[in-house]
Amino acid sequence: MSTVADKPAAITSRFDPRYEITLYRHVGVDGAHTLEHYRARGGYRAAEKALTEMTPTQVIDEVKASGLRGRGGAGFPAGLKWSFMPPIDGRQRFIVCNADESEPGSFKDRYLMEDDPHQLIEGMLIAGWAIQATIGVLYVRGEYYVAYERMRDAIAEARAAGLLGRGVFATEPDGEGDEATPASPGFDFDIILHRGAGAYICGEETALMNSFEGLRANPRLKPPFPAQAGVYGLPTTINNVESFCSVVHIVERGGAWYASMGTDDSKGTKLYQLSGPVARPGVYEMPMGATFRELIYDLGGGPTEPAKALIPGGSSTPLLPWSDETLDLPMDYGTMARVGSMLGTGGVIVIPESQCMVDAMANVVRFYAHESCGKCTPCREGVATWLPKMYQKLLAGLGTRDDLTLMEEMVRNLRGTAFCPLADACAMPVAASFQHFRNEYEHLVDHGAPKYPTVSRWAE
Amino acid sequence: MDLPTLKPFFEDKPELLQEILDRYPPNGRRSALMPLMWEVQRAERHIGEARLHEIAEIVGVTVTEAKGVMSFYSTFHEHPVGRFHLQVCRTLSCKLAGGDELYRALVEETGLVSGETDAEGTFSLQNVECLGSCGTGPVLQVNDTYHERVTRTRLAELFAEMRAGREPVPTRERGGDNVSADKAERVDAPDGTSVDAPDGTSVDAPDGTSDEEGGVA
Repeated sequence: MSTVADKPAAITSRFDPRYEITLYRHVGVDGAHTLEHYRARGGYRAAEKALTEMTPTQVIDEVKASGLRGRGGAGFPAGLKWSFMPPIDGRQRFIVCNADESEPGSFKDRYLMEDDPHQLIEGMLIAGWAIQATIGVLYVRGEYYVAYERMRDAIAEARAAGLLGRGVFATEPDGEGDEATPASPGFDFDIILHRGAGAYICGEETALMNSFEGLRANPRLKPPFPAQAGVYGLPTTINNVESFCSVVHIVERGGAWYASMGTDDSKGTKLYQLSGPVARPGVYEMPMGATFRELIYDLGGGPTEPAKALIPGGSSTPLLPWSDETLDLPMDYGTMARVGSMLGTGGVIVIPESQCMVDAMANVVRFYAHESCGKCTPCREGVATWLPKMYQKLLAGLGTRDDLTLMEEMVRNLRGTAFCPLADACAMPVAASFQHFRNEYEHLVDHGAPKYPTVSRWAE
Repeated sequence: MDLPTLKPFFEDKPELLQEILDRYPPNGRRSALMPLMWEVQRAERHIGEARLHEIAEIVGVTVTEAKGVMSFYSTFHEHPVGRFHLQVCRTLSCKLAGGDELYRALVEETGLVSGETDAEGTFSLQNVECLGSCGTGPVLQVNDTYHERVTRTRLAELFAEMRAGREPVPTRERGGDNVSADKAERVDAPDGTSVDAPDGTSVDAPDGTSDEEGGVA
């Protein structure tokens, strides 16, 4: 690792000796979900530091300095988002945690909640202090029952220990006379744990808020943005589980430490997820800017069969053809945008050579069709109805070349025309599959059978 | 399966009802809608018409509104599901790990197709979308519990348990950084600062074996 005179090069590889696993330090460790385990390893020190030694503005500035970008998929700068909150005006303010992880290929937040729930509570406490919100809302997807139980128990533990509730980190007056430190009332903060019930759309922030309020989870019109009118129409900031967990370490070790990892536009450490036919799939924590090759080969052990494409960040991100150039790309927000894709949640799915691309995309499309909320016409008609039917026709061997042209046109017309990003999430990967694998579509319509027949990968 | 009675579900559970309502701010009573539905469904394996009326009245919305909410979410059931509700993920990563074959095996084993419950009320089968278990696919959710990396052999074991009337205990499948063996443990130094264990940057590959962790169910 070469270094320039006074400023060391940023850490962009997990094999950099300066790198250490941070977010997933406790994940996979037996008993790590208890308060006792967490506190014995320095847990809640960052929250104490934030609440007793830092002003809310200082916390926000530290997060801004860290360069943390939202880990839910969109990559919006977290500190900037926090600063959008209106001035304190006596209204209730909310900090919301989006734990509705449901983008196919993403499974990092589940383990964070199951094995390290206190890290998330601490992050929410710090964020609540930063934006002066006294109520936190933790919205966990309905299927994550173990995570829900662990969070429920952890919240109860934190309440019992005075880490949630009235006067968190309150102090008694100390000393006498001129040298006395006055009593601090502490910070009032508690978390409402809310369980979803199986709807991908709840990952969209305003749909999540509707769901929390006991409504159908249709997205809301923006603006107003959540900072102006969020939960119950009140000022709200919403972040992803991993973002909150990152904040704990940013406060503890400083924004500059966090920014020493990563690339120009993407800082810090990130949880990447690897699935598909590879030797060792799973969640791997790596510094931003690490390459696909490092994830897939060095950590994941490489594909178990020849691969032809990879999906870089959850099924909504456009796939990239498998090549040495692709594998050497750094996994950061800017690079993915440059090559016409997105980092998304960092959920990498390897697509093997033997998997028919049309079949794979039909699967992706069916997912978004199933999850479309039906509120707006382009998505209801395009994503939920037409596209899956077209794929059905193709896979039945009844498609024509004209159908392919029609599908490409439909996908173009879907882009940017729907009420929320769900339609784009469906249209983008389809467009990318046409761009890179149109030959497979053509083979299917010309021969009435896929180029790659179905093979079983089910283990005995 | 017990016949539902007309006695209101929350009549003899005032503390539970109050605890749920008290979770939310006074202006947010409607937020209790989904938690109340969850309570009913966990007890009765579905949310019947009478229960829906009761819940609507508690939170102060019309039955139509409550029904609208209930029908939006795929995990609320209008009709009772069986003792073992089998939910098999069919989304891309699980598909690449054999999810389609797993579903077909479930069809053969139970004689059901997705959406059906057998006459005895033992099994319900349902195809579901991504369960967030992509690294440990294919995944089969039995009631609240994930069973991951379900092989053909493992599936046979699961059915042996279920047919004997027992809730199968999951093996906690791990992968990537979820394997504790190569975890860098931070320990507290005497002066209160944190230091890293000497082997802190170990990135030795996990071997993909699973940790047995009972009691998750």
